[in-house]
Amino acid sequence: MKVAQRLKQSRELGILLILVVVSIVITLVAPAFFSIENLFDILKSNVVLAIMAIGMLPVILTGGIDVSVSSMVAAVTIIVGKFLMNVSGNIFLAFLVGCLSGTIMGLINGLLVAKLKIPPIVATLGTMSIILGVSLYYTNGNWITGLPKNFIDFGRITIGSFYRQGEEMIGFPIQLLFLILVAVLTWFILRHTLVGRGIYAVGGNRVSAERVGYNVDRITIFLYAYEGFIVGLAGVVHTSIMRQVDPNAFNGFEMQVISAVVLGGASSLGGYGSVSGTLVGVALFSVINNGLILMHIPTFWQKIVVGIVLIASIGFDVTQKRYRESHNTKVDIEEA
Amino acid sequence: MKSNTDKKTLARLQSKEAVLLFIFIGVFVLMSVLSPTTFLTWRNLQSMAFQLPELGIFAIAMMVVIVSGGMNLSITYTAALSSIIGGLVLSKMTAAGIGPGPTILAGIATFFVVGLACGALNGVIVADIGIAPMLATLGTSTLFEGICLNITKGGAISGFPDAFLWFGNATILGVPFPMIVFVVVVAAAYFLMERSPFGFKIYMIGCNPTVTSYSGVNVKKNLHRVYLFSALLCAIAGILMSSRYNSAKESYGSSYMMQSISAAVLGGTDISGGYGRIFGTVLAVMIIQVISSGLNILGVNRFIINVIMGGILILVLTINFISSGRKANAK
Repeated sequence: MKVAQRLKQSRELGILLILVVVSIVITLVAPAFFSIENLFDILKSNVVLAIMAIGMLPVILTGGIDVSVSSMVAAVTIIVGKFLMNVSGNIFLAFLVGCLSGTIMGLINGLLVAKLKIPPIVATLGTMSIILGVSLYYTNGNWITGLPKNFIDFGRITIGSFYRQGEEMIGFPIQLLFLILVAVLTWFILRHTLVGRGIYAVGGNRVSAERVGYNVDRITIFLYAYEGFIVGLAGVVHTSIMRQVDPNAFNGFEMQVISAVVLGGASSLGGYGSVSGTLVGVALFSVINNGLILMHIPTFWQKIVVGIVLIASIGFDVTQKRYRESHNTKVDIEEA
Repeated sequence: MKSNTDKKTLARLQSKEAVLLFIFIGVFVLMSVLSPTTFLTWRNLQSMAFQLPELGIFAIAMMVVIVSGGMNLSITYTAALSSIIGGLVLSKMTAAGIGPGPTILAGIATFFVVGLACGALNGVIVADIGIAPMLATLGTSTLFEGICLNITKGGAISGFPDAFLWFGNATILGVPFPMIVFVVVVAAAYFLMERSPFGFKIYMIGCNPTVTSYSGVNVKKNLHRVYLFSALLCAIAGILMSSRYNSAKESYGSSYMMQSISAAVLGGTDISGGYGRIFGTVLAVMIIQVISSGLNILGVNRFIINVIMGGILILVLTINFISSGRKANAK
């Protein structure tokens, strides 16, 4: 168990190392990368990806997958946008509405997977078509603009502005707070609650988890609903950054979220993965994207690099696991 | 006792396709009644027969991999990459003034070579390295998309010889050529998957790769072959698509990816592998085509058609779940 723990940590350390090396290379080629403006820019433009990746993590840990996140977050931005425009400009209520609608959609996914035993990829594929279809029908693909001023001002708030460049103050965007909140909450749930233990147990071996006494159905429903809640939050955060709603902004975003989580070392093989790993995965993903732009490498290369890093990192993981397993077997034989 | 349960499962498996056939006839008749002047016309039937083969071929490419216990998220980008490199050969050779005969021959050969190379890469990553198929093909699809974009710089490749357009647009005795290709693909897939030792091994691997390996089957070799077969089908779909559009672009057909999973699952393929009938998948594709064309003719908003498709997917799986539960209780 201790060995597994150490190896898992080394896995995260490995991605961190890649991140450091990539960052150094990018800085050497394009010094602009390592400037405070740019780093804050990366931070702000990837907060939503990071929040959603953390939401996806528990689902992937149990061997599930959710391809409906992109349609869910698009729907949330539309609901919140319409709410702010037509009902109330209250920011707190906007967050409440966003999280609630996200949770309901997630709950539906959870019920389909847990109660009707529909395989996750198929169930979420179905809900994706439905949610996306309804969203696009409702908005007809049109943007929602002209959100209330107080909401836009809220999105502009920065904390600890310490750097002045021209007119604009640079500081930690308020959206970062939500990322920290989500990260701490998810970390706490995964590490310090019975549900979290259950999530890892289900990911390791569903049947064993059931026999030990975990209510697998309830855990499954919880984690999809929790993911929905986080996606709801991400939707409001996204709206506060973009200050408008584009129903098509998230097309194909689910693949980015899944890639980032997988890049961060999460794997359904034995229920590995942690919040810190996912955050490093998102960081690597965003640094690669940003760095390629700064190095004036055509953005088309971005996909190739991400694809190769993805395959290489999972390949490394799998080979390592196989080596460990063959090693373990030998130990067992010797002990016997 | 054992043979009794075997018979029961056998009966259930056969009835799965029978139910699909009834659903197909049902929706077809329904659409014909709702819109006899537009739906049930030779023109509409012909246009459906032009649209159906692409999704149909992709669905079979997806289904064979799912049967082996895997998943191929790279099908559309395999098709796109082979279209783009094949298209490049077609347009460059045409521009160089080489006649259409050798150009098309070389072009089509390129489609197949590139497609098979993509399939071989998937096979190596899944079978030899041992990455979970869904993640492996997620990685390769990103990779293929990147290569496509790098070649086209986001644009489309065009300038094919006129004769190449024949593949996607011609009719023989009123039957669209893509439909003929589809029928050949279905027949080939049927014999390969359900009537050959190779297919039998793929079903076995899908049920349990470890046991299959212990019973003397070379799991790796057969997995390689199934990804190659899937990629070959993608290359064929790529030829039909680029011929129909008279150009090649990375985004062509990207919507077929999720649709082909839906079609395979609606067709009764077990998403965790080991079960699936070619006939079922074909019926599912036909049902999807009839519903989407029919609703389109009836003037239903295309976004609502998406909603209905998603609803049908969930509904069918719910019915599957309820009926399997009832059967388990009856035992």
